[in-house]
Amino acid sequence: MPPIVEIQNYSWRYLRAEQPALQDINLSIEEGAFVGVIGPNGSGKTTLAYSLNGLIPGQYQGIKEGTVKIAGTEVEAYKPGELPQMVGVVFSDPEAQFTAMTVEDELVFGMENLGLSLAEMRERLDWVTDLTQLKPLLEKPPYEISGGQKQRVALAAVLAMMPRVMVLDEPTSMLDPVSRKRVFDVLARLKRESHNTVIVIEHNLENLVPLADRMILLHNGRVALEGETGGFFRQAATLEQAGVYPPGGIAFFHGLMQRGAYTGEIPLTLDAAVAALEGLMENRRHE
Amino acid sequence: MAIASNRGKITAEEIWAVAPGERRQVGVIHIVITALLIGIGFVVGAFGSISFPLGFGVNFFWTGIAVQQVGSIWFGIWGVIAGTIFPFFSNAIAGTPFYVSAAYIPANLFQAFLPAFAFRYFKGDIRLNRSRDFVILIGAMVISSAVGALWSVLVVLRSFGLLTTNSVPLFLWGWFGGNVLAGLVFNIILLKALSGVVIRSTAFVKRWLA
Amino acid sequence: MNKTLLGYVPERSPIYAIHPFVKLFFLLVASLFPLFISAPEWNFGLIIFVLLLMLYSRIDMRIMRIYVPVAISMASIIFLAYVVLGGFHPEFAEIGSLLGIRVYWERIRDAIVVYFRILPMIVMMVFFLNTSRERDVIVAMRTLRIPFVVTYVFAMALRSAGMVIEDFGIVRQAEQARGFDTHGKSLPYRLRKYVMYMIPLFALSLRRAEEFSNALIARGFAFTGPASKTKRADYILTHYRFTRLDAVLTALIGLAFAALLVLRYGFGWFTLDRSVFLPWLENLLLHR
Repeated sequence: MPPIVEIQNYSWRYLRAEQPALQDINLSIEEGAFVGVIGPNGSGKTTLAYSLNGLIPGQYQGIKEGTVKIAGTEVEAYKPGELPQMVGVVFSDPEAQFTAMTVEDELVFGMENLGLSLAEMRERLDWVTDLTQLKPLLEKPPYEISGGQKQRVALAAVLAMMPRVMVLDEPTSMLDPVSRKRVFDVLARLKRESHNTVIVIEHNLENLVPLADRMILLHNGRVALEGETGGFFRQAATLEQAGVYPPGGIAFFHGLMQRGAYTGEIPLTLDAAVAALEGLMENRRHE
Repeated sequence: MAIASNRGKITAEEIWAVAPGERRQVGVIHIVITALLIGIGFVVGAFGSISFPLGFGVNFFWTGIAVQQVGSIWFGIWGVIAGTIFPFFSNAIAGTPFYVSAAYIPANLFQAFLPAFAFRYFKGDIRLNRSRDFVILIGAMVISSAVGALWSVLVVLRSFGLLTTNSVPLFLWGWFGGNVLAGLVFNIILLKALSGVVIRSTAFVKRWLA
Repeated sequence: MNKTLLGYVPERSPIYAIHPFVKLFFLLVASLFPLFISAPEWNFGLIIFVLLLMLYSRIDMRIMRIYVPVAISMASIIFLAYVVLGGFHPEFAEIGSLLGIRVYWERIRDAIVVYFRILPMIVMMVFFLNTSRERDVIVAMRTLRIPFVVTYVFAMALRSAGMVIEDFGIVRQAEQARGFDTHGKSLPYRLRKYVMYMIPLFALSLRRAEEFSNALIARGFAFTGPASKTKRADYILTHYRFTRLDAVLTALIGLAFAALLVLRYGFGWFTLDRSVFLPWLENLLLHR
């Protein structure tokens, strides 16, 4: 089966910019994958997100080279209104993406644009409000709810359109830790229950790493590192050079590996880290 | 909107010129700009109408002129549409009967249209870098406000019997002066301060639609 | 409390039983009434009627305080335009002289007629804005089958007006944090400084336009192409039912307007000649 996202030799330079924002990007993402994209500020993450849903080059002036294909079709070949059915984007600022006056209207706006019937809309609304726990907030204006709730509304509004690819551009950057966890809980449930391809651009790795099947590191507009998550975080030097610091648990075990004190797989979750440490200590006791 | 590179300083002619290979098309941003301008104009216009009223929507310092004229200079037909519509609402909120506000539409349309037309026709620099650009701006402001005043006072207010013959000069000069004075203050500052940014944005309209 | 365009209305207000279309219809049709009524007592009665509607709807009547200065300034301007700048008319009945200006009964009468034509329209607009939420305006427009793009632009404009007011507050606070305070300063100084508010307000709005467009596109909204012709299900309308009460109210408003026209043009009602108040006032001023 062809990859759902296929980027070949892709470069993008904004008009009047000195340097390209993205250079020679080659990426292939299989359908159903959960991919994390990380990198320092200015590395091109948001440009990549916008390139996937056609905002680039559709809304921005610049020079494009190479191809960006979604489901085998170049993004520019999609007619206005078609690509959002394939690629949904959640932006980092929840306030900037509200299009309606109540949470409920916000959730149905995208579905109306797709021309869905009332019955279909009600069904999807039920599903998405259950998934994101938004039922008590349906009558509220989006600007009167908390930051975490806003971002769940934004996520739900995109999910309701059931795109094959979901791109989340730093969805938790403006949230407190509790709200951040709630958003990732939704993503975790999404991963368990559906076959969406999810691409999450994040700075905060604690919540992302346990979910991601693959990780991509962008640095200075190029793909500096990519691979399945476990092997990805063995490349600590590359990560640190790019200004990315792995979560504490991963860094700890990487340090142990460098000292020769640990040779197993780097645990990606806290529970796995505790189990690995327990195992290590048990082995030491036996020695 | 992928176009050829242009990294140097932009000249006045280049502001309005569509480069070879440049594709410009009407998009969602233009609808959004129209709505935003209506919203801004509504607030700013109502502020002027309530703060400096003469009566029946005529003000002796109408702050809304900035949104009306600068909006249309930057955003072409979208600014003209917004500039025609928002005074209807800002006047209504300030107590002008809505049938009077509706009858003002041709005046507001002309006031919004003429500066946008003048800059495009004479290839003026909207950053107001030369004295020629000031002449274009002020000339357009004066002519459009004069026509607007004549229409609004002589045609509308007199037709509805809202003014006496003797009070006509007060309202004529009020409309004209209120627009030109506020325009001299706000239009120049906004064009000089923000045109450089607007030219580089996707919302900027080179022709009339995109 | 539910937020409306101008204020707040309690959740238990009877106004929510009325379909938004009826509220809009009332505004549009009833605002025409004063155009056909010259006798000021009838327009005054219309004002009282709308104020009673506001009370019935449980609107906080303190909102009317905002419009007191507007009413006073309008009265002053009309007085200025009609009485002070009314000119010399030998055929008019002179009441007296005010600082050397001749004051005529006919000019005062005309000023009163105009003033009491405008006031009901203001009050009706205030009533509408106080009893309608943004959603209500959208529903009313969609009920009238106004194209979605037009309806949505209107909704966006309403929202952006609210955002501009908020932004203005934020910019002002930021300026004050930098030591900028207009309190006690001269008018030219304040004007010059207020001009500087416009720049960040515009800049903020431009940035917001870009972000908002991206959000709309991401939600599949299109202005051109086949996607713009998609038939919309109008989910928002499913929350509102046009009941028998709404039909009755709509009919009553229409009939009232028709009756007004018949009485006015068929029987000469509501004219200056049929006024009770004006002859009394004339008598008071001319024969005191």
